[in-house]
Amino acid sequence: MKRQYADLHLTTNIRDSQQVSVIINKAAQLGYNLIALLFLPNTTQEELKQIQTACKEAKLDLATRIDLKPRTPNDLIFNLRKFRRRFEIIAVLCESKNVARQAAKDHRVDLISFPSTDFRQRFFDMAEAELASASQASLEIDTRPLLMLEGPARARLLASLRKEVAIAKGFKVPIIMSSGTSNELLMRKPQEQAVLAQLFDLDREYALDAVSRNPTAIVTRNRQKLSPKFIAPGIRLVKKGKDC
Amino acid sequence: MNALWNAITKLYGEHGASQTGLTLIEYNPDEKLAVIRTNNTALNMTRASIATITKIEEKPVAIHVLAISGTIKALYKNLRH
Repeated sequence: MKRQYADLHLTTNIRDSQQVSVIINKAAQLGYNLIALLFLPNTTQEELKQIQTACKEAKLDLATRIDLKPRTPNDLIFNLRKFRRRFEIIAVLCESKNVARQAAKDHRVDLISFPSTDFRQRFFDMAEAELASASQASLEIDTRPLLMLEGPARARLLASLRKEVAIAKGFKVPIIMSSGTSNELLMRKPQEQAVLAQLFDLDREYALDAVSRNPTAIVTRNRQKLSPKFIAPGIRLVKKGKDC
Repeated sequence: MNALWNAITKLYGEHGASQTGLTLIEYNPDEKLAVIRTNNTALNMTRASIATITKIEEKPVAIHVLAISGTIKALYKNLRH
C-alpha cells in the first residue's frame, strides 16, 4: 500500500492567509497528504473553515494542532482540560523535568518535544520513555534546527537525537519527524526528511514511518476519540433508539 | 556544486566527502535543474547533504531531489514521466 505522508508541525501564522496558502501549496507539491497547522486558542470557526477549504483545493487533509508550553505540571493539566476536545493534536514543549514527566504520563498528550538548542533541557531519558510508551505519547523531532544549525551546535544536537532515538526505539515510543517551520524554503520532501533522520541512526523503514505511519495513526486515533460516537477505546455508538 | 561540496564537508567531513564521487553532469539554469552523479554507496549522504542546503551565496534556497536512477538514460525517462 502506498504510504500517506504527513507533516504535523507547520508553524505559520494562520491569520496571514497569503502565507498559509503558500505553505499549503508547497506541502501538496512536496507530496504530503496530511498537514497540521499550528492553531491559536482563540481561532474562530470561520478561520478554520477558510483554511480547510484551501487544503481541500490542494487535496490535503488538515489536522488542527495546538502547542502547549506549560511552566508547571498543574499548568499543563489545566490546559489539557481546556483544549483536549478542541484540537486534534496536542503537543507539549517540555522545558522542565516535572513538565516532561507529566506530559509523558498523561494520555491526553500526543507529542512531546524538547528545546533544540539548550541541551540541558532535553529530558528524554529512559524514565521519560517508559512513561511515554505507556501513555502512547510520541517523540517529535523537528528538521528545522538540523537545517539552520551549523558546526558544533548541529553536532551536539545530532548526538542528543541519536541518544534519544535509541531510547525511544528501546521502549517502542513512536517518533514523528516534522518540519517545525513557517518558511516554505525550509520544508523538505518526506523522503528527504527520512534521509535526514538517518543522520541520527534511524533506519530507513523506521524513518519513513516517522513521516507517514506514526503521524497518520495519531490523527486517525484522535479523530475517532473526538467523534460523538466514541464511548471508550474499542467501544463506539453504532445505533441509537428504542429498537436497539 | 560548491554549495553541495560545502554541505557534504560540513556534515560528513572531508573523509566522507571523498567517498561520494560527486560530479555535475548537467545544469540547466532556465529550468533550475541539475543532474548530479554520486556513488551508489554514498547516495544517502548526498541526499542528506542536499537537504541541508539552505543558502547559496547568501540567497535563501531549497533544493529537492526529483528522481534517482542508475543510468542517465533511465533518469531522463523518469523525469519526462
